[in-house]
This record gives sequence, C-alpha cells and structure tokens, in this order.
Amino acid sequence: MAIAALTFAACGGETSNPPATQAKGNITVAGFNFSESSILASIYGKALAAKGYNVSYKLNLGNREIVQPALFSGQIDLYPGYAATELEFINKNKGEAGSDAQANVDKLNGYLKPQGAEALTPSAANDENAFAVTQATASKDKLTKLSDLSPYASQMTLGGPPECPTRPYCQPGLEKTYGLKFKAFKSLDAGGPLTKNALSNGDIDIGLVFSSDGGIAAKNLTVLQDDKHLEAADNIVPVIRTKVANAEVTALLNKIDAALTQSDLVAMNKSADVDKQDPDALAQNWVKQHGFA
Amino acid sequence: MSFLLQVAAWFSDPQHWTGVGGIPNRLLEHVEMSAGATAAGALVALPLGILLGHYGRGGNVAISLSNVGRAVPSFGVLVIALELVGIGAKPAFVALFLLAIPPMVTNSYVGIRGVDAEVKDAARGMGMRERKLLTAVEIPLALPLIMAGIRISAVNVVATATLAAEVAWGGLGRYIVDGLGQRDPVQVFAGALLVAMLAILTELGLAGVEGILLPGGLKQQRSRRRWVRPGLKAA
Amino acid sequence: MRFLDVTDPWIRWDWVAAHLPSIWADLLEHVELTMIAVACGLLIAIPLGIAAYRLRPLRDPLLAASDVLYAIPSLALFAMLIPFTGLTIVTSEIGLIGYTLLILLRNVVVGLEGVPADVRDAARGMGYRPAVQLLRIELPLAIPAIVAGIRIATVTTIGLVTVTALIGEGGLGRLILDGLIRDFKSPLLVGTVLSILLALAADLGLAGAQRLLTPWSRR
Repeated sequence: MAIAALTFAACGGETSNPPATQAKGNITVAGFNFSESSILASIYGKALAAKGYNVSYKLNLGNREIVQPALFSGQIDLYPGYAATELEFINKNKGEAGSDAQANVDKLNGYLKPQGAEALTPSAANDENAFAVTQATASKDKLTKLSDLSPYASQMTLGGPPECPTRPYCQPGLEKTYGLKFKAFKSLDAGGPLTKNALSNGDIDIGLVFSSDGGIAAKNLTVLQDDKHLEAADNIVPVIRTKVANAEVTALLNKIDAALTQSDLVAMNKSADVDKQDPDALAQNWVKQHGFA
Repeated sequence: MSFLLQVAAWFSDPQHWTGVGGIPNRLLEHVEMSAGATAAGALVALPLGILLGHYGRGGNVAISLSNVGRAVPSFGVLVIALELVGIGAKPAFVALFLLAIPPMVTNSYVGIRGVDAEVKDAARGMGMRERKLLTAVEIPLALPLIMAGIRISAVNVVATATLAAEVAWGGLGRYIVDGLGQRDPVQVFAGALLVAMLAILTELGLAGVEGILLPGGLKQQRSRRRWVRPGLKAA
Repeated sequence: MRFLDVTDPWIRWDWVAAHLPSIWADLLEHVELTMIAVACGLLIAIPLGIAAYRLRPLRDPLLAASDVLYAIPSLALFAMLIPFTGLTIVTSEIGLIGYTLLILLRNVVVGLEGVPADVRDAARGMGYRPAVQLLRIELPLAIPAIVAGIRIATVTTIGLVTVTALIGEGGLGRLILDGLIRDFKSPLLVGTVLSILLALAADLGLAGAQRLLTPWSRR
C-alpha cells in the first residue's frame, strides 16, 4: 500500500508541469461550450498574444457552472462573459439585472471583486436568451411574441440547456413574467444543434436560442418577441482575474469590446455554425481587420 | 459527511420519485434501453460467434472484431448515430447495440472453439448429428464463456447508456449531465450511484442466471475461476 | 437516413488539410494522456497485484473492489472528481488511471497465479528465496498475462480519453465534441476514426513488444 501511495504520488508529480514563466506572464483564456464563446475567447487570446503574453486556451469548457468557479480558483484567467447572465448567476438569481448593460456590470463587479475577479467595459454587441418556434407553429397559432403563447403553453414542450429549469431568464422567468407553464421540459444544449433540430423534428415545441445566432433563419425558425422584457441586457463583457488585469490588458480588452459590433458577432456565428468555418480562423480575421494583431 | 447527508436527502425527496424526471421512470428508461440493446446485440452476435466457432472459420474475424470494437470510442459513435438517425432514443440504441456485439461474438467463438476435440469425436461416435452436437454438447460446454460475454456486454451497455444523456436521451445519465449543467454535485453523485448500483446488479443478476443454467459438472470449474474474466469497457 | 445538417458532407478534405497541425496536436495529447494513464496504472498495479498474490486475505477483497469501481460510468467518475481536483489534467488522469489499474491488477494476479505449481516447486527446491523467486521466475512467466492486460488497458483508455473532452481535456475527443457542438461531421469523423486507428496501432505495437519480451514463448 505504501508503495502504491508512493508511485501514485510520483505519477501526480509527473502530470503537473508548472508553466514556464514568461516576461509578460501567462494568461489562460476559457470559453463556454458554444462557438460564439470560442470565437470571442480566441479574439481576446490572439490580441493578448500579439502583445507578447503567453496565452493558453480552455475552450468548449462547459457552462457557467463550470467556468466561473474555475476563474475564482485561478485555473483560468479570463473568459468572455455576458453582463446580465453573469450577474444573475453570481447573485443566485436575485433578479437584479436590468436593461442597462453598464449598470449590470457595475452590480456584477460588486460580487466579483471580493472573489479577486472583475468585469471590464461591456461591448455594444449582445447575446440574449430568446425563444424560438418553427415558422409553421408560428403561422398556425399566429405567434409573434411570447405573451401570445399563454393559450398553448400547457400543451407545449420547452427545450433548452440542462440549467434552464434553474435560471431566472429561462424556464422560471417564463413562468413568473409571462405565466407560461409548459407541459414538459427537455434537456438539450445551449441554443445549439440539438435544440434547433429538436424544434425542426417536433421533439420540442419551443426552444431557447440566442439573439446573436446566425443560423436561426436557415433552420426556418421564428424568434418570439420578448414583449414583457424578461431578458435583461446581456452584453458581452470580459470577465477577468484582477491579478492578471493590469493596465495594458484592461485597455486592450476594452478596446476590443468597443470595436465589436452586433453584426460582426452574428456574421461570425453564422460562419462558424452554418458554414463550418473555424472559430479560431474567424477570430484571426477579425483581430487582423481591426488592427489588434 | 454533510455531503452524504445531502445525497441521502436527495434520495428521500418525494419529488425525485415521481414524474418523467423521477427515479422510477429514469431507471425504467435505462433498463429498457440497456436490455433492448443487449438483447438485440445478442441476436446478432451469438449466432455469429457460435457458427464461426462450430465451423472453425473466421477466427481472425472474431478476434479483430473484438479488438476494433474495443477501440471504437462510444462517444464518437453516439454523435455519429445522432447525425444518422436524429436526436433522442434512436442514436443511443444504435450506439449501444454496436457496443454490445463484440464481446459476445468473441466469447461465444472462443467458447465453442475451446470444446475438447475428443469430446466432439466421442459425441459423433455416439451418432450425434452436427445440429445435435452443437445444441447438446458444444453450446452447453461453451456456456460459461458465452454467459461471460453477455455479462461483459450488459455491464458495458448499462455504464455507457449514461453518455446518451449528452445527445438528449433520458435514462439515469440525465442526473449526471443535468447535475453537471446545474452545478449540483449532489444530483451528479446520486446519478453516478444509481448507475453504478444498476451495473453491479446486472453483473450479479447475470451471474445468478449463469449459475442456474450451467451444467452441474461445470459449476465447480467456474467457481474456481470466479474472478477471472477479461476486462472490457468502452465508456 | 436523416442528417441533422443535410448540407454538411461526411468529410471535407479541405477542412482536414487546413487543420492538420491542430489534429496532430490533439493526437499527440491523446497519446500522452493514454501513456500517463497506462504507465501510472502499471506502477500501481504491479505492487498491488503482488500483494494480492502473496497475501491471500487481500486477494478477493481487492479484486471485488476493482469490479465494483469498474462499474462506475466514466463520465460520472470524472464529474465526481471535479469538486476536488478541478478542471485539470489531474481529474482526467485519476479517472483514466483508475480504469487501467482495474484491468491491470486483474491481469497481474491472474498471470502470477498461472505460474505452474511444479515450476514454483522446482524453484524452491533449487534454493531460491521468495523475493528472488518472484523476480526471477514468477514475474517473467507472468509477462504474457501482464502484457495482455496492458493491451486491453491501452485500447480501453484510448476510447475513454475521448470522454474527457467533456471536462476540458480530451485529445481527439475535442474533435468529436466540436462536431457535436457545431453539428459538423468532418471533425467528428476524423476524431472517431483516428481514435480507432490509434488504438489498433497501439495494440499491434504492444503485441510486437510482447514477442520481444518473451522470446521463450515463440514457436
């Protein structure tokens, strides 16, 4: 047993190579498990690398439930966040997020700073939760906005990511703000191929998608208007460990956010998801075009 | 300790025992899917392995099938099946069916091949036809290995069915994938516990069936080799 | 047949050509994750296996415990480790080493027990002390069973590494996950096929190594 413990310890040592220290330091950039997040994380990473930082990536890492704790524990240093979603995640769904992105970020920083992290300046580009039905369903039941659903909801199955039933801007929000109680919920992915195909195949009747998704039209889906303003301003904002957020890094990330537009985002998402271009290559293009590398 | 208390509380919450997401339904889904995939796999694999063994041909086929089968990543097959047949139960069934086949082909081939040539000669000498030889001598003597193949397949399938929650199917893997998504380690742990218990019950249950089916003379031999079985796992 | 994205072909060679460097990097990472798991599993399994072989009361509990652990699905095991070891290579490796250990332990025990009793008696008669007998006689004769275990463990681990993509590692599993996330068949197919080829190559290589290690078993 002692030998086993020793060899195990030896193996443990073998697996953890401390990263070599570089002149400008190491930054680990993480992303959530959808292409937009990979694109944004790669944009941050490439711009930082161009400034001489030693950048490593942890992309497609999972959802916020995995990524945020990893940031606080220092396993990652930076990820592209979303102002309202980050806030409502860290405040355990208090419902503080509103329609002003900067106000959301200010409140978010009240929670992040004690954890040794912070959110920088939000971009104009945003990616809010949205709910889509097929064009066939929309025209059959004359649906254009979420409140139109009330006569039908009890017969409908909602599809979304596994965390949807516990997120205020997903199932509980639809229930509270619109009074929509669905027949069932089906665990799929975060606005990805599972959700969009489940809609097309009729496995679900309404699904969570993202406002910046470039592939909604291609799948003949209709996004229902959020007429009671359930969704708060979910603008893109870098979330970073304070320890790595020196003046140069902060200024660079804020400049990226200022340059990123909604139409850039939608176009890049379409290229990645519909045309299967590389998130990495799309990020490279954007960074070059905008003079960050 | 408090974590285990939370797990216990999770299990005693009546909400977790009713409806589509309740333990009885998830367990039933998991058992139905695993039993269906293993049985369908057996329908293909056992006749193939037994006939290959009986005619002494295709030994290389049987062995390479097992090697390739073991090398196929279930996660990849699951996603490929998703592309082919759409989301939900179907891709899970296809992937698990394919996963179930190799150990059963290999084990039944090896089992039948391993029947002593002298025993077969003696049976032929007694005037047995080939069909009778197969059903009355070869299959009963090969039964321990055939059953071991079924057991390995069934346990693999039960464990791997967990991954199917990644492609939007139900089963006990739902608790693990949803628990990961909702950062709910209690739910993840409870799901893992349920799958592990189901896998162990499958192993023990099939070992029990084997005990009933085995010819008396073989039982002693088997008990000596109790812990000797080739390991095989794909996920 | 129904394809999620009908416009996407099964394989796009232009994509493959453009991504050779990153595919190569994923392949190397896959090999690295596998080698660490098998090597560490072996380092632990040999002493444990000898202990189980020499100390009879340990044998059945050790093997029974390994059977039980083996039944825990890999995804569940990885998920349960995250609170303790985080999203690091350590989480993936503990899980992978665990599974290789179970396969290897069994084969070490079976190999040692398979040494014929008359060989052992002869060694004892020639005055070998137990430790020397173990090193000179029993372990060399157990090599075929141990190498068989290494083959099974290696091939199994190569398949399991793909699952670690779900917790941020993954080697070729990254390609499979990318295929799932973007509904994109080329990375999915490349990841799956390379994983199979890697496993078959490793199996053949180890079979060759086994022949070299045990010249006496050659016909």
